[in-house]
Amino acid sequence: MKQQIDEWKAKYLRALADYQNLERRTHEEWQEKQTRATLAVISKILPILDTIRKAADHLQDPGLNLGTKSFTDVLVDLGVVKLDVIGLTFDPATMECIDVVDGEENKVLDELLPGYIYKGILLRPAKVKVGKTKGG
Amino acid sequence: MAKIIGIDLGTTNSCVAVMEGGTPKVIHSAEGRNVIPSVVDPIKNIVGDVAKRQMVINPKSTIFSVKRLMGRKFSDVNVQNDLKWLPYVIKPGKNDMAVVEVEGRQFTPQEISAKVLAKIKADAEKYLGDKVTQAVITVPAYFDDSQRQATKQAGEIAGLVVLRILNEPTAAALAYGLDKKNAHTIAVYDLGGGTFDISVLELGEGVYEVKATNGDTHLGGDDFDKKILDYIADEFKKEHGVDLRKDPQALQRLRDAAEKAKIELSTSLEAEINLPFVTQGKDGPLHLVMKLSRAKLESIVDELIQKTVEPVKKCLSDAKLKASDIDEVVLVGGMTRMPKVVETVQKSFGKEPNRSVNPDEVVAVGAAVQAGVLSGEVKDVVLLDVTPLTLGVETLGSVSTPLITRNTTVPTSKTEVFSTAADNQTSVEINVLQGERPMAADNKSLGRFVLSGIPAAPRGVPQVEVTFDIDASGILSVTAKDKASGKVANIKITGSTGLSKEEVEKMKKEAEEHASEDTEKKEKIEARNHADSLIYTAEKTLKDLGDKVKAEDKKEVEEKVKALKDILESGSTSDLKTKTEELSAVIQKVGAAAYSQNQPSAEQTAEEPQANGQKKDEKKVEEGEVVS
Repeated sequence: MKQQIDEWKAKYLRALADYQNLERRTHEEWQEKQTRATLAVISKILPILDTIRKAADHLQDPGLNLGTKSFTDVLVDLGVVKLDVIGLTFDPATMECIDVVDGEENKVLDELLPGYIYKGILLRPAKVKVGKTKGG
Repeated sequence: MAKIIGIDLGTTNSCVAVMEGGTPKVIHSAEGRNVIPSVVDPIKNIVGDVAKRQMVINPKSTIFSVKRLMGRKFSDVNVQNDLKWLPYVIKPGKNDMAVVEVEGRQFTPQEISAKVLAKIKADAEKYLGDKVTQAVITVPAYFDDSQRQATKQAGEIAGLVVLRILNEPTAAALAYGLDKKNAHTIAVYDLGGGTFDISVLELGEGVYEVKATNGDTHLGGDDFDKKILDYIADEFKKEHGVDLRKDPQALQRLRDAAEKAKIELSTSLEAEINLPFVTQGKDGPLHLVMKLSRAKLESIVDELIQKTVEPVKKCLSDAKLKASDIDEVVLVGGMTRMPKVVETVQKSFGKEPNRSVNPDEVVAVGAAVQAGVLSGEVKDVVLLDVTPLTLGVETLGSVSTPLITRNTTVPTSKTEVFSTAADNQTSVEINVLQGERPMAADNKSLGRFVLSGIPAAPRGVPQVEVTFDIDASGILSVTAKDKASGKVANIKITGSTGLSKEEVEKMKKEAEEHASEDTEKKEKIEARNHADSLIYTAEKTLKDLGDKVKAEDKKEVEEKVKALKDILESGSTSDLKTKTEELSAVIQKVGAAAYSQNQPSAEQTAEEPQANGQKKDEKKVEEGEVVS
C-alpha cells in the first residue's frame, strides 16, 4: 500500500512538473513562433529586394534608387539589421563562403549577397568571396 | 528520471525526437530546423548548418558523410571508393580502421559523429530544460557489429548512454505503430539525401527481424538536384551561350533554385524558376526565366528513380517473398515526397505506401517511441482515456444527435440547448445514446430520464439545456435544465466507455456497413421534420397575420400546406423536399408582403431565426426536439 502511494505520488509530481514545464515552454514557444513567423515572411521578401537592388545598380535610375531605399528603411524599422562583412575575417556563423579568390587569407573580399539578422537570429547568412593566399 | 531521446544519425542530416505526454515530438535545432546537417569541422568545433557554410573555403577540414566510414577498415572496398570523391583526407588508423585527418590531427569517425550527437544533446537539453544522458540511436539495417559498436561509442563520447542501437527501418515501422497493427511483413523504402536503402522486416515475438536489405549507397536527393541543375544550366547555355556552372555565385543560386523547383513540383504540376540578373552577358545582365513541369522533371530524374527498382526486387527475392506477401510499405527520406517515387513504390509492391509521418523525421520519431518503451513511458504512462463511441441524445424523428463525438479525450463536458416538439409540452424525455449510427434505434441506449415542469409554451420556445459530462474515470453525467423554470433533472451512467474492445469494433464496423442506408433514413426524417416545422410555421403565420394576408395568397398557402401534409408520412425524400421548398417560397412571399405593409406585426416571426443565428428553416431541425 505504502509503496503504491509513493509510486502514485511520484507519478503525480512528475505529471505536475511536466505540466509546469509545458506551460513555461508554451510561453517561450509562442514568443519564438512569433519571431519565426516574422523571419519566414522577411526571408521570402529578401530575394525580391536583392533583385530590385541588382536592377537599381544596373539602371542607375534615381527613382528606383529611392524605391530601394524606402524598402530597406522599412526593414530597418522592423528591426532587420544588415550585416557588415567586407574586410572582416570569414565567420561561418553569419557568412557562407561561395567562392575563394586570391587575397588576404580568410578575409571577406566581396559580398555577393547581403546577410541579415533579426532579434539576434540569423535571417540569412551573407554570401561572400573569401581570400586565400596562393598555396595556402 | 530524465528523458531518453531518439536520434536518427544520418549520412546527410540527423534528427532528434522525444516522447512527450505519450506522443513523439521532433526537437528543432537552435537554428530552428527539424534536421541538422551531419557536417563537422573538428578543429573549430563547429557543427551543422554553420559548418556547412564554410565547406567551400575549408573543404579539407569540413567533414561530411562520415557515416560512410563508421566502423570500417581503411582497406574496405567502400572506403576505397569513397576516398576518391570525399574532399577531406582519409587514412588508415589503429588496426587499419579508417580515420579522418585534419590539419595533421587524426579523428576517428566516432569522434566526428560525437560532435553531431553533442549538438543534438545540447539542443535537446535546451528544449527540455533538463539534462539528457540517455539515447536510442538508429543505424542502417545492414550495419555490422563493428559499425554498430562505433555508433555506440560515438554516443558515449558525446556523453550519452546509448540504451539501444535500433535499425532505421524498424524505427520507421515503430513510428507508424505497425507492431501494434500486427503487420507481419513490412518493407521500408528509404530514399534519403545520399543513400537508398530497401529493407524487408518480419515481426516475430514482438520484435522486427530484418529479413533482407538492399540498396545503393550513392543514390539520393543530391543526385536528383544535380540532374535538375544540369538540365536548367544546359537550357540556359543553349539560349544564351553562357555556362552558369562556371560562375560560382550563379551556380549557388541555381543550386537553390533547382532544389526549390523539385520541392515545389511535389505538390504542383508546374514550377517557375526565376533568377533575375543571374549572370553578366556580353550585352548586359542576363536573366533566367524558365518553366519546369512535373512531367519534365520526372523525365529528367526517371533514370535515378528506376535505379531503385532492381534493389527492391533483389531484396524481395533475398527474403524469399513476393511483393504480395508484404503487409505494409513505409516511406522514409525527403525524396519519397516526389509523386513519381510514390508511384514507383506503389507499382513495385502493388499497394499504397504509408507516408503520413514526415519522411525526414520518421526514423527519429520511431527512435523516440523505442526510447519511450525503454523508459517505461510508453507502457506505463497514465494515458488519458478517450470515448470509444459517440454519445448523444435522441431527438424528434428518432434521430441520434451527437454531443460528444468519439475519440474525444476525457474528462470533458459539452452543453447544447434543445427545445420541445409540440405546443404546450411540459416534459421532455432524455434518451442518452451511444454509437455512431444516425438513428437512435440503431445505437445503444445508456439510460433515460424525464425533465418535467416545463412551463407551457408553443413548440420550439422552451430552452432545455442538456449537459454531458464525462469524468476521468469514464463516468458520464447527463443533466437537463429548463432555462425558464430552472428545473433540473439528471442521470449518472457508469462505465460509458466500458464497452469491450470487440463491442467497439463491432459497432464501428456496423456503422461503416450501414453508412449509406442510415444516411438515407436520416435524410428522410430530416426532410420530414423540416416539412413538419414549416407546416407549423405556415399555419402560425397565417393565423398571426390574419387579415393582412391577401385572400389569394392565403388560399395558395393553404393548398401547399395540404399538399405537404398529404405526403408527410408516405412521401419520398425528394417529394418532401420539393413540396417543402414550394411552401417555403409562398410563405416567404406572404411574409415579405406583410412586412412591407406593417412591420411590427411581423415581429414574432422575425424573432425566431435570430435565436441561435441559424436560418429559420434549418433551426427547427437542427435544434431538434427532445422527444416527448
